[in-house]
Amino acid sequence: MTIAPKAPRKLTMKQRYEALTRDLDWEPSYVETSEVFPYTEFEGIKIHDWSKWEDPFRLTVDAYTKYQAEKDKRLYAVLDGFAQSQGHLSLTEASYLNAMKLFLQGVTPLEYQAHRNFAYLARHLNGPGPRFAALCQSIDEMRHTQTEIHTLSNYNKYYGGFHNYLEQHDRVWYLSVPKSFFDDALTAGPFEFLIAIGFSFEYLLTNLLFVPFMSGASFNGDLPTMTFGFSAQSDESRHMTLGLEAIKFLLEQDEANVPIVQAWIDKWFWRGYRVTALVAQMLDYMLPRKVMSWKEAFELYFEEQMLGGLFQDLAFYGITPPKHVEHAIAEKEVLSHQVYWTLYQFSHAAAFTTTFPDAEAQSWLSDNYPGTFDKLYKPLWDKEARNLEAGGRHFVRGLPQLCQVCQIPMLFTEPDDPTTICQRHSEYRGEKFQTCSDGCQWIFEREPEKYVQAWLPVHQIYQGNCGGPTVPDVLAWYGIQEGDGGEYKGSLDAAHWARWHDAADHSHIGSEA
Amino acid sequence: MAVNSIGTYDFPSRSRQELYGDDQLVHVWFQENMWFCASACFRAPKAMTWGDFWNGLLVPYAEEDPDFDPGARRVWTLHGEVIEPRDDQTLEEIGVEHKDVIGMRVLA
Amino acid sequence: MSTTAATRPVGVDIQESETNRSVVEAIEATNEGCTVQHMPGLVRITAPGRLVVTRESVEERLGREWETHEFQLAIVSYFGHIKEWDDDEIVIAWDH
Repeated sequence: MTIAPKAPRKLTMKQRYEALTRDLDWEPSYVETSEVFPYTEFEGIKIHDWSKWEDPFRLTVDAYTKYQAEKDKRLYAVLDGFAQSQGHLSLTEASYLNAMKLFLQGVTPLEYQAHRNFAYLARHLNGPGPRFAALCQSIDEMRHTQTEIHTLSNYNKYYGGFHNYLEQHDRVWYLSVPKSFFDDALTAGPFEFLIAIGFSFEYLLTNLLFVPFMSGASFNGDLPTMTFGFSAQSDESRHMTLGLEAIKFLLEQDEANVPIVQAWIDKWFWRGYRVTALVAQMLDYMLPRKVMSWKEAFELYFEEQMLGGLFQDLAFYGITPPKHVEHAIAEKEVLSHQVYWTLYQFSHAAAFTTTFPDAEAQSWLSDNYPGTFDKLYKPLWDKEARNLEAGGRHFVRGLPQLCQVCQIPMLFTEPDDPTTICQRHSEYRGEKFQTCSDGCQWIFEREPEKYVQAWLPVHQIYQGNCGGPTVPDVLAWYGIQEGDGGEYKGSLDAAHWARWHDAADHSHIGSEA
Repeated sequence: MAVNSIGTYDFPSRSRQELYGDDQLVHVWFQENMWFCASACFRAPKAMTWGDFWNGLLVPYAEEDPDFDPGARRVWTLHGEVIEPRDDQTLEEIGVEHKDVIGMRVLA
Repeated sequence: MSTTAATRPVGVDIQESETNRSVVEAIEATNEGCTVQHMPGLVRITAPGRLVVTRESVEERLGREWETHEFQLAIVSYFGHIKEWDDDEIVIAWDH
């Protein structure tokens, strides 16, 4: 008996991809191309040959759906096992979930916005290759939104801070940072959006954003988050590719595109980098079991891989590293400390809790930031220790000044002096505007007519648009309830956690609220 | 350069002074004091006196710092110049405009 | 510092799992001079200039058929540029 040789595949990957893209595309005959694709000229980008854009993944509908379904099946198997085994009790500490509250409130709604804008690109880009890649990414982003909500909903049954993330994303002061960042991208043209989100966010900064959350989950017993994270990241590598293809395609199509793309890289590196400030403090302060310091993550994922790798490659096209990158590098020693110190004193108005870093945490910070922690930040925590002993707790009794561009409280310091707050002033149409850094000031002054529209939470509160004049009014309008924010020690989460872990009988778990 | 857009792009500022009526926003920058992570932002009437601004808004905010000493000698700055506000002067008379930053430094 | 595309490191992060162990072993065997580093939940493989995953070497270790598309279930992140992804191999390298 002979075994029949395996039947050859009808079409190779390349041929199937060709069939899906080129063969399903056509030239309009009774309307102008510019009527079918009205948004790909006003930004000044010149494209001569859309067929030069090819997706290296060569995905087709059958392959896409097959592997995405498999990814979902694997994730939901983990979620079921976790819920069935009371997995939330195996976290290192309930305070770990503050990182996840921030993720659900700050990042998940961005996934949905990304879904919307990639759907728009899937309709409006002229080339069939990028249209299909954008369509896949649009569906991916919807999947990420859904899987993140499903994953974290397991914690919403037991812990505060997870119950009103969508409304909070639109209203709460610290969430206006990621929201306004993405709104800025959504209101740009299709090519700027591709450089803003596809390239700067997905390629330049994605590892800094996601890998710390996922590694933190892995170290702190959060199996479901680690699983959704890796599941989402596996799509992310496709998104990185779309971003890199986009930039190379634009640079290769016409030399006149180079300065336009460079200015977008300069702007969007800084915009994205400012959003990662929230990740920096999460890594260094919020994780009960530390993974790596922000400084180390920044050096590995940004300095080594992006400045040392990617920008060497892009130099071929005349692209240089982003403007103000030297300030980001200088900040790596101070960023997380300044941001956590800020969240610590404003968490009474947040949907997460903060707490005083204990001796072990401080010694880790001191080891990882030998040049700055002991000198600049330990004295502040020592003062707060005395304050706590005297019955105080540092919560600011008022509102901070915000940066007009990144919307973060003006907490950043001069690049060469970590003890002096950086204040930059600009005037536009007779009105004064302040920004937190040279980077944000440069962005403001490049397009002031855009940033004067910023919905700054502090200004909105003072205009009476946020529920009322008092802190309780505003918190009620934020949908922040008892147990969502403030100090972790003595919080509802901490009390429940202690009870669940001390009790011999666990049958009451989850019925407290 | 200006925004590239698909149509007329002309929108008012969302923080313009008229939205606050007779009031304005005033920032106070606690220099050489890292206890407060950022400058404070207050809404205050233009006709508010410096004395009321100090006692009614600034002190309640600043005394959260355990080292706050209301009687300490301070250097005040506005628009890059040292100013010496008197308690009976209004913010307007001192020259404080909407969204200005007043620097405050305690003399050692 | 200027480096050339031939030597500048490229790399890939792969989720740590039963199936992916064979993928990692295949990459190690295919790419001389690569470095394998274990991180929480992931394996990071870097190589100077170029990193190749071949269908044949993965199938050999896995003992079953393996489409290169399946690599999407393994990859978490990468740095470099995906130069080629066809039925037989995946190549990550810098262009310039």
